[in-house]
Amino acid sequence: MTRKYWKGLEELKETPEFIKHKEQEFPNQQTVEEFLSDEKLAETSTARRDFLKFLGFSVAAATLAACEAPVTKVVPYVIKPENVTPGMPTWYTSTYYDGNSYASILVKTREARPIFIKGNKDFGFTKGGVNPQIVASVLGLYDSERLGQPTAGGANASWSSIDKAISSALKSAKSVTLLTNTVISPSMKRAIAEMSVSMNGEAGSKFQHIQYDAVSYAGMREANLSNFGSRIIPSYDFSKAKTIVSVDADFLNSWLLSTEYTGQYALTRNPDAEWMSKHIQFETVLSVTGSNADYRGMIKPSEQAAVLAYIIKGLGGNAGVSAELNASAKTAADQAIKALKKSKKESLVVSGSNNIGVQQLTNKLNNMLQTYGTTIDLSNPINLFQSEDTKVSKLVKDVVAGAGPDVLLMMDVNPVYTLPNGDAFAKGLKKIKTSVAISAYADETASLCSYVCPGFHALESWSDFEAKGSEYALSQPTIRPLGEATASALESILVWNGKAVRGGKDSSVDYDYIKATFAAKFPTSDFAMAIHNSVMPQALVPSTLVYADAKIGSLPKSAEWEVSFYQKAGIGTGANANNPWLQELPDPITKVTWDNYITMNPVDMKAKGFVTTYDQEHGLNLTTVKVNGKSVTLPVYPLPGQALKTIGIALGYGRGANGEKIGKAAFQTKEYGGYELNAAGNRMPIGANVYSMVASGSTFEYAGAATIGSAEGVYPIAATQIHHTVMGRYSIVRETTLDIYQNKDRSAFNPPHTLQKLDEHGNHVEAPMSEFDLWDAHPVEKIGHRWGISIDLSSCIGCGTCLIACQSENNVPVVGKDEVRRGREMHWLRVDRYFASDEEAAVGTRKDKDTFSFDKAEYAAENPKVVHMPLMCHHCNHAPCETVCPVAATTHSNEGLNQMAYNRCIGTRYCANNCPYKVRRFNWFNYPSYKKMTEVNPAQDDLGRMVLNPDVTVRTRGVMEKCSLCVQRIQSTKLSAKKEAREIIDGEFATACSDACPTHAITVGDWNDMKSMIRSKSENDRAYQALEEVGVKPNVWYQVKVRNEENDLLSSLQVEAHHGNKQH
Amino acid sequence: MQKEAAIREPLILGHKTYHDITEDVCRPIEDKAPKMWYTLFGIALIIGLYGVGSILYLLGTGIGVWGLNKTIGWAWDITNFVWWVGIGHAGTLISAVLLLFRQKWRMAINRSAEAMTIFAVFMAGLFPLIHMGRLWVGYWVLPLPNQFGSLWVNFNSPLLWDVFAISTYLSVSLVFWYIGLIPDFATIRDRAKKPLSKKMYSILAFGWSGRAKNWNRFELVSLVLAGLATPLVFSVHSIVSFDFATSVIPGWHTTIFPPYFVAGAVFSGFAMVQTLLLVMRKAMGLEAYIHTKHVEYMNIVIMVTGSIVGTAYITELFISWYSGVEYESYAFINRATGPYWWAYWSMMTCNVISPQLMWIPKLRRSLLFTFFISIVVNIGMWFERYVIIVTSIHRDYIPAAWSMHFPSHIDIGVYVGTIGLFFVFFLLFARFFPVLALNEVKTILKGSGQSYKESPDYHKHH
Repeated sequence: MTRKYWKGLEELKETPEFIKHKEQEFPNQQTVEEFLSDEKLAETSTARRDFLKFLGFSVAAATLAACEAPVTKVVPYVIKPENVTPGMPTWYTSTYYDGNSYASILVKTREARPIFIKGNKDFGFTKGGVNPQIVASVLGLYDSERLGQPTAGGANASWSSIDKAISSALKSAKSVTLLTNTVISPSMKRAIAEMSVSMNGEAGSKFQHIQYDAVSYAGMREANLSNFGSRIIPSYDFSKAKTIVSVDADFLNSWLLSTEYTGQYALTRNPDAEWMSKHIQFETVLSVTGSNADYRGMIKPSEQAAVLAYIIKGLGGNAGVSAELNASAKTAADQAIKALKKSKKESLVVSGSNNIGVQQLTNKLNNMLQTYGTTIDLSNPINLFQSEDTKVSKLVKDVVAGAGPDVLLMMDVNPVYTLPNGDAFAKGLKKIKTSVAISAYADETASLCSYVCPGFHALESWSDFEAKGSEYALSQPTIRPLGEATASALESILVWNGKAVRGGKDSSVDYDYIKATFAAKFPTSDFAMAIHNSVMPQALVPSTLVYADAKIGSLPKSAEWEVSFYQKAGIGTGANANNPWLQELPDPITKVTWDNYITMNPVDMKAKGFVTTYDQEHGLNLTTVKVNGKSVTLPVYPLPGQALKTIGIALGYGRGANGEKIGKAAFQTKEYGGYELNAAGNRMPIGANVYSMVASGSTFEYAGAATIGSAEGVYPIAATQIHHTVMGRYSIVRETTLDIYQNKDRSAFNPPHTLQKLDEHGNHVEAPMSEFDLWDAHPVEKIGHRWGISIDLSSCIGCGTCLIACQSENNVPVVGKDEVRRGREMHWLRVDRYFASDEEAAVGTRKDKDTFSFDKAEYAAENPKVVHMPLMCHHCNHAPCETVCPVAATTHSNEGLNQMAYNRCIGTRYCANNCPYKVRRFNWFNYPSYKKMTEVNPAQDDLGRMVLNPDVTVRTRGVMEKCSLCVQRIQSTKLSAKKEAREIIDGEFATACSDACPTHAITVGDWNDMKSMIRSKSENDRAYQALEEVGVKPNVWYQVKVRNEENDLLSSLQVEAHHGNKQH
Repeated sequence: MQKEAAIREPLILGHKTYHDITEDVCRPIEDKAPKMWYTLFGIALIIGLYGVGSILYLLGTGIGVWGLNKTIGWAWDITNFVWWVGIGHAGTLISAVLLLFRQKWRMAINRSAEAMTIFAVFMAGLFPLIHMGRLWVGYWVLPLPNQFGSLWVNFNSPLLWDVFAISTYLSVSLVFWYIGLIPDFATIRDRAKKPLSKKMYSILAFGWSGRAKNWNRFELVSLVLAGLATPLVFSVHSIVSFDFATSVIPGWHTTIFPPYFVAGAVFSGFAMVQTLLLVMRKAMGLEAYIHTKHVEYMNIVIMVTGSIVGTAYITELFISWYSGVEYESYAFINRATGPYWWAYWSMMTCNVISPQLMWIPKLRRSLLFTFFISIVVNIGMWFERYVIIVTSIHRDYIPAAWSMHFPSHIDIGVYVGTIGLFFVFFLLFARFFPVLALNEVKTILKGSGQSYKESPDYHKHH
């Protein structure tokens, strides 16, 4: 039977109208002609008044529409850009260089916004090594005080007018000086050379290029010039050094290419490898590097030469200078001699001094050891830090005297801030006819210049680099420039030299220029491939340089009290002082945030009557220190390990002293928000600038004589850790020596916890912790995934990179100094730092359990051993936080994660109280909107908010938060494995912390994967779980710290324990 | 009628008649309030409003206005909570346990003790509410059916047990108190002249007619409620102590806590009753009903419970050493010698030494001394909770996380404010409610009244 279909009743009934219109597809269709010929239309008319009404309305509407209204648009992609999938990150290879640090990096972008930076482990000689400043630099991109357009005389100006003015000034000038930080960009060098040629012709002297770094390494170059005839800095390879002797070189934190050295150093610190290096450090201020040393001698800055001379003497040489040493240094130096004699050419001696004489002695010692050719590579020079102190001093002298060049171009330098006589230079700068600053901020120097030409942020621009002879590297933009009218520095130089025309926001000038540089260097290589890898290897010519003794330059003089200036992990030279992540990064050693201070040994402080303890409400004494005729007033911090009769002050503070717009977070804020203002109504800088105290002789000297005043009142300190020792607790930190580790079995250096129980005969027997359990096990054993972390305390150097990476990945709020002072920092991951006390043979091991005194154990030894211990949520399988939450807001996942449901949390804080590791963080305020955090929390800034990771919720007030083990990364790893229908590969999933760790101390993975790295690490002899006896069954393991030292006391204790005499 | 031995001190002094009792209790309600009442009420109200202001600021801004930090998640908030709950213990003990033990002397004090209990539990209940980060979703602690599927409360959490314990305790206490008030309200209703107060009291009197059937049911209900309330006396503070005892924190994780907390609660509750009644008997002319003997009885309770508490402190110390647990022993070394030594020794002095003075009959019969000790005990009990909570978590397992607690002015404002609010309630009670269970007191007039005991007829009947 055929069924009849009908569209409507009309069709069913077959009405006449239906039949009539049946063939017509569009009913009543009228043609235009028909419409116009309609007679009725002619009758309608638009009156004049109506016409004017319509006209007026339309014009008004059009005018209104043309006004720029602050409309926030959410526009979906109409045409999907290639390689951008909403919700999926895109990674770009790039290179970081800020004049002080250098690294090959990977930049993660989401929806075209860079949000995360990590080291590039596959390409580049830094092999994934980064430091906190590099990881945090992504936040600098979104700083709302970054200049958006060029200014002339402080007023906004257009590029065309500025270019015209500068070009003509350059033409008419008699002398032009270009002052830059060290230029390692071959393209920029080419552009500068072109400028030089077009101004100087063949042999003119009108144009001069001077390189000036905030912290100079000229002493090293001058010493090499005298010994090798070339102003080079060679490459160092710490990975080949069986003995590392460092004389005040903080090579794990700030010295030279520390991003490369951290990774190399970590390789030699593996006690399971064929050999483990012995590291002897001589230094004034306890540094990150010194805290990792096997032996550490405390020396005054003036004793550096004596240390080297003593070792030279010990090795049978003669330095020709005094070798008198204090007791602490002597012990370490004797160890150094012993170790160097053994390792000979497989050694490395480095010095952080900028004194030519000290560097010459270092060269002499290295030459004696024949390390040139093994650990030191003269054929692969480092191009960083080419500062020429004599030239800089001459220029500064001229400028101050009013005899400066007609045109002073400054690029990426801030001499008013970083020069010892910055004030005088600032006055002189005003007398210069045309001063131009290529600078991202109207900073101390730029704000005084006639023209300020804001450059791109590194993440917005193309650039190329040649940090070392062996490698050419590229960086590429990861976002369209955010500034309204910024332009790349390279383009500016080219335009002013008449070699290019401005290309506007989407200019390809620098791209083309860099491509040309590349093509000239590598005629047969593919540029796209080079960008993909970010680096190109370059062939090296074997060095022909030969060491020759030279007359030792003048050495630093000793004084009763000496000062040493150093760089902190977060603030460095001060260029990143506006970065709130870095300001809130606890200093790896002191754990102080948001401040500058004078470090002094507590022994000295007691003698001088300063308070030596502090907490939230009890600050430290202020005092005034005088160096080189300049004085600053800062709080005095009790730093064990500081050489006696010395102090240390960090560089990089006191930025924006005259209220310059260098960034919202660079200034002191008040207790309830808003800025602290000084008498002039300017924002108060954080800390004090001590560049002014640096002595400028033949080189800049970052040490000198000091006079110290008496206590002048109390200053609040915001530190994340106010207790500094581990109180002899053996289940938190475990430490042993290489000798014990290699020759004794596990029960000596890492005994498992046991408890007593009754056996079937009613006798007391010792049983391992695994036999005691109140609860049923979570169903995570051998089923599905069980995520875990292993942290090697031997590899961890305490640099803090993981902490910043975690903050960046997980949108951890910045809370500001006052909140940190109150003990409310929000970091999900913290790096605990423990000093050994006089009561301990090593951190956590009591010298004598019978006479152990808690009172004495609270205080660090004069020159303590240090352990860094990263601590995050332990994702306990029997988590005490989970049982106590009344609303089940924190629960256990079937993959072993302790998860937080922010939406469900009512904020009783019981979970935080009940956490033995104290890793839970409570949202005391609404950080994304509370007035107290307006200046510091990037989430409160329209631009700053763009750095937030869209995969992670921004938490509201009143809820608890903590490490999630980067659950968003776990999910995406699982998803991609699922899409490809495969199992997750070990190492595929990495948390932000493990991703960023330059020493690979943090391993994450699936513990149920029997072949995984985490599984094998958790089962090796060094593995232990912190607070195992509490029975919470954490998913985090630590590896015992192994120090390559001779510690007879520790040996006897641990070996005695081995024979059944348990310590606890 | 029950008679008691003549050598027992009479519980009602003077030559009181039934009518005198009615007059003595009703007069303050019917007369105009004295100036003193207005002054005290004014002061309490101002302090209370300051507290309300502090709470509003807290709720508007965040828990950060308190002095807590990453290590110390509870401090004054939960200290105050436990302190107030402890104070709220005496009322039920007096009215329920002493009722079951037929302690007639309780009749003079049970009404105000119960009122104190209820107001103290109000104050106590405030702290778990306002200490929450997100009060507006606080109702999630109730096992309510919800639209989120299987989202349910966590029955493992002691905080949830607290919710049930406190709310049960409050509701039973409230009902018990109210039932006791009904005959007295009826008396006031019958005497009231003003139409408004007559109306109000007749609503409160719940249709009481004074018939034998009413009295019969009244007695029955009282007994049943006393039976219900007695276990609550022990349960509520046991459960509060579970907040600490079930945790893993050294100094909290202590099995001795339930009995120790209950004894401490009775200890502090009686002290608070003393503080209040010693003032009230003078102010309201109730010296005949609440006199030295009552005070002495209560002092004996304080002495006994104080000794239990002291024993518990020393047991804790012993166990911390005997257990050999490193963290446990350090927790107690730290309490006694660490940065909070002053809190620990304040607690020890106030709670262990001061009640022992009550062994001396002269002292325990001295009203002035009793008043002084009652305040000392409550200071001591506040420190006890502060010591348990703060000095345990400020230095627990990981030394790097060790911290100190410093109260903010909002901490202080909220605490002092609850004392103000408590007195606002108590003064209103004293003004509008019969502060003595007058109809109950009448039942012992002939058995234990001074005039009857002294009268030559008193012994004839026996």
